[in-house]
Amino acid sequence: MTSLFHFKTTAGHRHNYPQVVCPNHAVIGGNRHFKTSKSTVNPSVLRLNKYGTPAIDPPKERLEWVVDTKSPSTGKFGRFGGRFVAETLISALEELEVVFHHVLQDPEFQEELTTALKDYVGRETPLYYAERLTAHYKGQNLGRGPDIYIKREDLAHLGAHKMNNALAQAMIAKRMGLTAVIAATGAGQHGVATAAACAKFGLSCTIFMGTADMEKQPSSVDLMNLLGAKVRPTAGSFKDATSDSIRDWTEKLGEVYYLAGTAVGPHPCPTMVREFQSVIGRETRRQAAEKWGGTPDAVVACVGSGSNALGIFHEFVRDPTVRLIVVEAAGFGLNSGKHAATLAAGEVGVYHGAMSYLLQDEEGQIICPHSVGVGMEYPGVAPELSFLKETGRMEFYSASDEEAVEAYRRVARLEGILPALEASHAFAYLEKLCPTLPDGAKIIISCSGRGEKDTETVFNYPIS
Amino acid sequence: MAIRAAATSAPTARSSSALSLPPPISSSSSYSSAQLSFGRAKSTTRPRTTVGCAISCTMTREAAAVTSTEKDDSDPALWSRPDSFGRFGKFGGKYVPETLMYALTELESAFNSVKNDPDFQAKLGGILKDYVGRETPLYFAERLTDHYRRPNGEGPHIYLKREDLNHTGAHKINNAIGQVLLAKRLGKKRIIAETGAGQHGVATATVCARFGLECIIYMGAQDMERQSLNVFRMRLLGAEVRGVHSGTATLKDATSEAIRDWVTNVESTHYILGSVAGPHPYPMMVREFHKVIGEETRRQAMEKWGGKPDILVACVGGGSNAMGLFEDFVKDKDVRLIGVEAAGLGLDSGKHAATLTKGEVGVLHGAMSYLLQDDDGQIIEPHSISAGLDYPGVGPEHSFLKEKGRAEYYCVTDEEALEAFKRVSRLEGIIPALETSHALAYLEKLCPTLPDKTKVVLNCSGRGDKDVQTAIKYLKV
Repeated sequence: MTSLFHFKTTAGHRHNYPQVVCPNHAVIGGNRHFKTSKSTVNPSVLRLNKYGTPAIDPPKERLEWVVDTKSPSTGKFGRFGGRFVAETLISALEELEVVFHHVLQDPEFQEELTTALKDYVGRETPLYYAERLTAHYKGQNLGRGPDIYIKREDLAHLGAHKMNNALAQAMIAKRMGLTAVIAATGAGQHGVATAAACAKFGLSCTIFMGTADMEKQPSSVDLMNLLGAKVRPTAGSFKDATSDSIRDWTEKLGEVYYLAGTAVGPHPCPTMVREFQSVIGRETRRQAAEKWGGTPDAVVACVGSGSNALGIFHEFVRDPTVRLIVVEAAGFGLNSGKHAATLAAGEVGVYHGAMSYLLQDEEGQIICPHSVGVGMEYPGVAPELSFLKETGRMEFYSASDEEAVEAYRRVARLEGILPALEASHAFAYLEKLCPTLPDGAKIIISCSGRGEKDTETVFNYPIS
Repeated sequence: MAIRAAATSAPTARSSSALSLPPPISSSSSYSSAQLSFGRAKSTTRPRTTVGCAISCTMTREAAAVTSTEKDDSDPALWSRPDSFGRFGKFGGKYVPETLMYALTELESAFNSVKNDPDFQAKLGGILKDYVGRETPLYFAERLTDHYRRPNGEGPHIYLKREDLNHTGAHKINNAIGQVLLAKRLGKKRIIAETGAGQHGVATATVCARFGLECIIYMGAQDMERQSLNVFRMRLLGAEVRGVHSGTATLKDATSEAIRDWVTNVESTHYILGSVAGPHPYPMMVREFHKVIGEETRRQAMEKWGGKPDILVACVGGGSNAMGLFEDFVKDKDVRLIGVEAAGLGLDSGKHAATLTKGEVGVLHGAMSYLLQDDDGQIIEPHSISAGLDYPGVGPEHSFLKEKGRAEYYCVTDEEALEAFKRVSRLEGIIPALETSHALAYLEKLCPTLPDKTKVVLNCSGRGDKDVQTAIKYLKV
């Protein structure tokens, strides 16, 4: 079904930013496959960074746009982002933006948020040296290999990074005097986090969830009900639930607060979510400095829509020595048509209020994504990540269902940690990454969630 | 006069205990056989003489060596918890087959040596911080406090110690980590454990995966069916799960099987006991590994309100999470200690696990303590909706604290626990384990009796994701 909020860009769209053919994208287990918007590459602009991949320094002012949160902006990250919504929503979004910038400067809000993050969510989460995982990769390479650290977002309350954002936004809703919150959820993690935050602050909560997802994750539905939230089924999956919830918001403006779960959607949602998740990256920088007196050489995160990746990357975007690596879901393989690798196989268009890469067919209809990690099944991606891809600041790869499940098992056996299947995609990429890195390089992997919810899937998964 | 049971005392600070132990004595270790030995030889190694059944008088330096309880013992700071035999008053001890005595003594020596070893403590602290996620927060439960506020605005302040935020979702891992590090120190390559619902099994399998040790978990066949997801998890973590079909195929049978395995393989194997029950040194050791809970609480309470808690509340199955919270405060007589057990379907129904309320003193799994037994001394199968409280015994130290009147013990039914489960989920967005819900349920009875601004700290010992299906079924949410 067509969302109200997306259309395909025309090929002749004018822009000033060099288009990068990203040769650093490698298809695991498939043919090399490149997809970009139709434009040419200017070879004179290309130069190689220390890893031998194209490096383009985005002009300083554009990076400032990415990181600037001090004043209202157009919400654009290069040509991505923006606010492609029905007119009725514009004033609500503008109001939200004003409140958002206000709370960022408000010491009382910040103190309450910090206390809640500490006492309720359990921050700061540890940066854990994965001794056995490190030894495993060194052992495959004559004792030489990177040192692997895991940022333990799985230890946050309710087992995923989603809580950081849900908590802050529930506080904003209260501040705005709204007593009802709505949200859309795919795998259920964001729904559960929102339901918990609403319970904590005494707000009523309605969660939109696709019927297909409700069948795949019934335990999430139970959790939401237990926490006092109402779950409204939508025919379809996350993308349909999101469209429905935005529609509901448009109908009930001024009565409900729309709690965005990830860094997609119309401005200011992507910026807000990124800002509240960026606590992950700030802690990581401090912990890295404590542990080895420096910054990481590479930060690896899975990407469904991009909130956990942006959360850990944001702090390091301006550090050119830190490689930013995302790993998408290749599902059954990039050529199978059953995957969720938006950055690899998508085209630029407008979806859910923002311009970004998305999985669409020739007619501009959304392709239904697939991944064994339900949280990865989003056909779009955060506009900020699209920008980081296009400017070459970020590298993107993908891992198939099978590789993710294998990674889950590997990390369970070696470290006694059950990573969420979503996070397992990031762990899967270590197989390709570690052999290429010098001895003692520091890698940080974002373990965005815990995998107890996925135990049955993994146990029953047929590994060939 | 000092009367000692045979070969049970292990003086502290001896690292090569194997060579310095007295030779095995043919008579079994019981109270009635009197032997001469100089216990608690912390400073010098005194000559040991073994005498046949004769009682001699000995001058010893420590007044505490006298095992009678005639001296004034109202000051908790003076209590031996435990004494050198592993007894808490008359509870505790080491009622085990002879083959295990050496292993227990070795374990105790190893534990005593690491207790003061800065390297070990640093390593343990590092793992607890980076792997387990300590320190856990002391969270002010605002809406729960509001819920118990009386119409005149007065009421206690309720804080939750968030052990549910630990890796694997319960306090159990504190002890599992400590014991596996100890096992490595002892050079053991094989770890065994028993488990009921699977929580302790998962915690053990987790730490074995982390440290690369072989892991075998004994689980009752009936429990394996009811908790198949936990069985999957243990297998994914690389552990071998062995089903036990004897008896009622539940926890107590799994424990017996595990002990049997340990007796057979004692040289290569360490037995990770999950609670403060079992033979000495386990109750003391497990308590010491969980003590960090109470120590953190003291510091956090000082930060938050500049004082101590007035009341500590915790659920009691075997008793490890309660001892972990209580231990640092036992000597503070102005801090009330409250343990909450499972009343199951009601104390009169016969289907409960309220050991300290309805049990009698006996020996189970190597320790003397209260336990649920019938007139023939057979163990009564306990019942609770929460598997972790479903244990027919209780840690000997709890029996001791109850007898001394230092701690109070109450109980709560399945239904009350389920109500509390739902209440806390809705009021705080925290889903507590059904075990913890028993402690939370007791707040209903406790809070109306408390003066304004009393500081109550409740140990939120685990998270309740594992119990959602059960709860939904009963609550019809």
